[in-house]
Amino acid sequence: MEVYDIRPILAPTISLVCAGMVFLVGRNKHWRRFWMLSAAVLKLVVVMSMLPGSLRGIVYVFDMIDFTPGIGIGFRADALGMFFAVVSSTLWLFTTIYAIGYMKGEGQRVRFFGFFALCVSTTVGLAFAENLLTFFIFYEMLTICTYPLVIHDETPEAFRAGRKYLTYTLIGGACILVGAVMVFDATGTLSLSQPGILSTDISYNTLALIFALLIGGFSVKAAVMPLHGWLPSAMVAPTPVTALLHAVAVVKAGAFGILRTIYNVFGVDVLEDVGFTIPLAAIAGFTIIAASLVAIFQDNFKRRLAFSTISQLSYIVLGAALLTPFAATAAIVHIANQAFPKITMFFVAGAIQRKTGKTTVHELAGIGYRMPWTMGAFSVAAMSFIGMPLFAGFITKWYLSLGALESADYWVLIVMVVSSMLNAAYFLPIIYLAFFKAPPGTEMHVDEAPPTLLVPILICAAYVIILGTTAQVPGMPFSLAEAAVHFVFGL
Amino acid sequence: MDSSYVTSLIPPLAVFLPLAGALAGVGLGRVSERVRTVALGVVCAVTAALTLWLIPGILDGKVYETYLLRITPTIWLHLRVDALGALFAATVSIIWLLALVYSAGYMADGHRLGRYYAFFMLCLSWTLGLAYAGNLLTFLIFYELFSILTYPLVVHEETPAAMAAGTKYIIYILVGGSLVLLGVVFTFFLAGDQTLTVGGLLTADMDRTALLVVFWCFLAGFGVKAAIMPLHGWVPDAHPAAPAPFSAVLSGVMVAAGSFGIMRIVFQVFGVDLLEELGVMPYVAVLAAITVVFAAILAVSQDNLKRRLAYSTISQMGYVALGIGLLGAGSSTGAIVHITNHAFMKGTLFLCAGLLIKRAGIHNVSEMAGAAKRMPVTMAAFALAALGMIGTPPLSGFISKWYLGLGILEVDEPLYLAVLLGGALLAAIYLLPIVYAAYFKKPPALATAADEEDGREAPMSMLVPTVIASALTIALGLGATLPGFPYSLAEMAVEAFFR
Repeated sequence: MEVYDIRPILAPTISLVCAGMVFLVGRNKHWRRFWMLSAAVLKLVVVMSMLPGSLRGIVYVFDMIDFTPGIGIGFRADALGMFFAVVSSTLWLFTTIYAIGYMKGEGQRVRFFGFFALCVSTTVGLAFAENLLTFFIFYEMLTICTYPLVIHDETPEAFRAGRKYLTYTLIGGACILVGAVMVFDATGTLSLSQPGILSTDISYNTLALIFALLIGGFSVKAAVMPLHGWLPSAMVAPTPVTALLHAVAVVKAGAFGILRTIYNVFGVDVLEDVGFTIPLAAIAGFTIIAASLVAIFQDNFKRRLAFSTISQLSYIVLGAALLTPFAATAAIVHIANQAFPKITMFFVAGAIQRKTGKTTVHELAGIGYRMPWTMGAFSVAAMSFIGMPLFAGFITKWYLSLGALESADYWVLIVMVVSSMLNAAYFLPIIYLAFFKAPPGTEMHVDEAPPTLLVPILICAAYVIILGTTAQVPGMPFSLAEAAVHFVFGL
Repeated sequence: MDSSYVTSLIPPLAVFLPLAGALAGVGLGRVSERVRTVALGVVCAVTAALTLWLIPGILDGKVYETYLLRITPTIWLHLRVDALGALFAATVSIIWLLALVYSAGYMADGHRLGRYYAFFMLCLSWTLGLAYAGNLLTFLIFYELFSILTYPLVVHEETPAAMAAGTKYIIYILVGGSLVLLGVVFTFFLAGDQTLTVGGLLTADMDRTALLVVFWCFLAGFGVKAAIMPLHGWVPDAHPAAPAPFSAVLSGVMVAAGSFGIMRIVFQVFGVDLLEELGVMPYVAVLAAITVVFAAILAVSQDNLKRRLAYSTISQMGYVALGIGLLGAGSSTGAIVHITNHAFMKGTLFLCAGLLIKRAGIHNVSEMAGAAKRMPVTMAAFALAALGMIGTPPLSGFISKWYLGLGILEVDEPLYLAVLLGGALLAAIYLLPIVYAAYFKKPPALATAADEEDGREAPMSMLVPTVIASALTIALGLGATLPGFPYSLAEMAVEAFFR
């Protein structure tokens, strides 16, 4: 059931207004904090207020302008979009608190927090985009808004990373635009409200080109190998940025775009006929393994996390590419199941860096004695990635395995097992160093990060367990994922 | 006797009480070491009482169950107590109680006690969850939790040897766990259900290749834990490295948890009929037989006492796997009984080994000469358990081997009788020289008075649990057929499985 409602546009507008106010009155520390926090809370309230309706099957829509018939700006909060919006606005709140603590004493805070809010605004806009054009506009805005955050430190390395980031993502964006135009040319619509708008009547070659352009374009942000090069470099950004943008907003925008392309542009039936997803699944499988292998050899803590992100994101791509209901469930819930543990890990890396100045893995020996809560949270997140039951990651692993069996792609099971092992191989040594390998003379007294850093870490770690144990409790996003899958597969 | 299902809160209570104990243990340790010891002792004792409390009902044909949590439509937690689970849980909780009391003495003045006790209690919780698991996923969850969260206990001493053993342990366990997960997912996919049922979830009309893959995934996965050769590599390193009270638990019930998993798979996922049709069990029996003999041969050549005991565990667990592998009612009964009997015998041996290390500094078999003069009670307990392990009547080890032997004849595979006897003979070869040296060899001249002081009998807190464990070897042997003792429960379980 569709209901005309202002909330799908209200949600991105709130952070937009917040960004404006930060730019205007952000010189004053208190006003800046006021606007940041109240906007984060308000937005979460708005998004959450749609959740009960969404769970009952209501889709909130808001159409704005039609440039010409068929091309316009429109918002539509369907189950898939709501899932992404709930995850990103929840995490925005925690990241805001963390960022306020983390950025103390940094320069250019007005610019930082202003663009920070803009990024979140565009992410939610993207989640609620009703058609490919709206999607594309927000997608490109996200690229632009992230740039000032990536180069925040204004070191030569940061500028280099920024340039690399823009080059990759703008080329990706251009591909998407061309793809979108071709979709419009073939179908006369850009709507994302149907379970697929393309049909097999269109010539095979056109379909293949559209698929390559759209998926290729989105794969840049989703960091599917070999298009992942920008992501590890972008780790020079301050930690809250890497946490929110490179674990949640930017990379997930890419993954979300892939989900939209597969489920709403092509549709499952068409893709099953033409078989384009078979090579995509293979590439995703390769990325999962290869990125993990690279991660093992990274000594820089954040770089190790970055390669782990690349590997984990491809779970979403792989799940989508398998085209079965269980795999689709895995792909969608992994948006949350990757975001919460990964953001926990980035927060931990940042807290350690702020507290002790340590940025490499080998320096972490004995850190568990000094920061037990922080490293405890890290361990929870690591368990999730390894796929321990009762942690969020297990639910993805379970559904993805079932999905692979459904489509008889047995190699995916091997990929899953190997990936779990590799995750263990690069996360367990960190826990081992932190808790069991204290060098002689390590100070045993507890010296934790300040509460503004520690509290978001602990809440996110708690979420990892909550997502893994009570996924079906009303108000948890799992049922949204189910609803989205039912819609997509016409169940 | 038809089973009737009864919803009960006792199983979840038994599972979660130690969990609460683990949390409380950390806090109470700050107050005083004594308070913590007493509190955790009470928690363990109550847990053990709860697990025993369920047994009379089970013997009446009741099956207790509780639905815990539905995480997603295809993932739910469910506890169900049948005869097999009740027996394993009771064994586990009693061993744990003994080991905990022992820990109070053994670990005193040790380091990082908070961590030790917290994980010690956590593992009890997970192991009971495993025993009471009513579906495959619950089983998997507790299996993974207790496998991985055992790591801090394995490496507790933080010596280089312990750390290396820990790394080896975690690699073996993660690989094994992944295989089990594959099996669980595959089973769920094939059967559309995962509740452990008598007669099995899988049926003969399913794809034969798929069934074989599932079977070997499970067998290899649980085989790692059950130390079936060639998957036993972690055992001889991890058991000696862990602190003695935890070695007792590790050898007594943790390895058995793997065998317990294999039983669940054989009887309740596949079912006897299907396995007979698939014809895979003879291979399991051969692997088990090789494990029994080969591990025992390796045990003979070990000089380190705890290492020798670890190999003995591998060999003894081979008996259990053999009993299941023969797929006979009698041999399966013997296998189930042997899990419990072995737990207490091996528990005793490891607790004694700990006492020898702690009080006399004896790590190796070659240093045993005259130990009985210095520590008569300890060595008496050791000798009793050793005799039980060899299979001397009327001790408990004899009972399980007797049923195993009868079972072997029942399925008409007399060749395995030779394995059974060979294993027992080898057990005599690797255990009796220790007893012999302790009692009849002259002790080396003690260098100083300090040595003399060291070599005295351990304090009561450690001695009493050791003696109780050893006494259970007699009790379980003499009272073997009493209702409520392992045999009655095993028989009940097997009757259902082979109906």
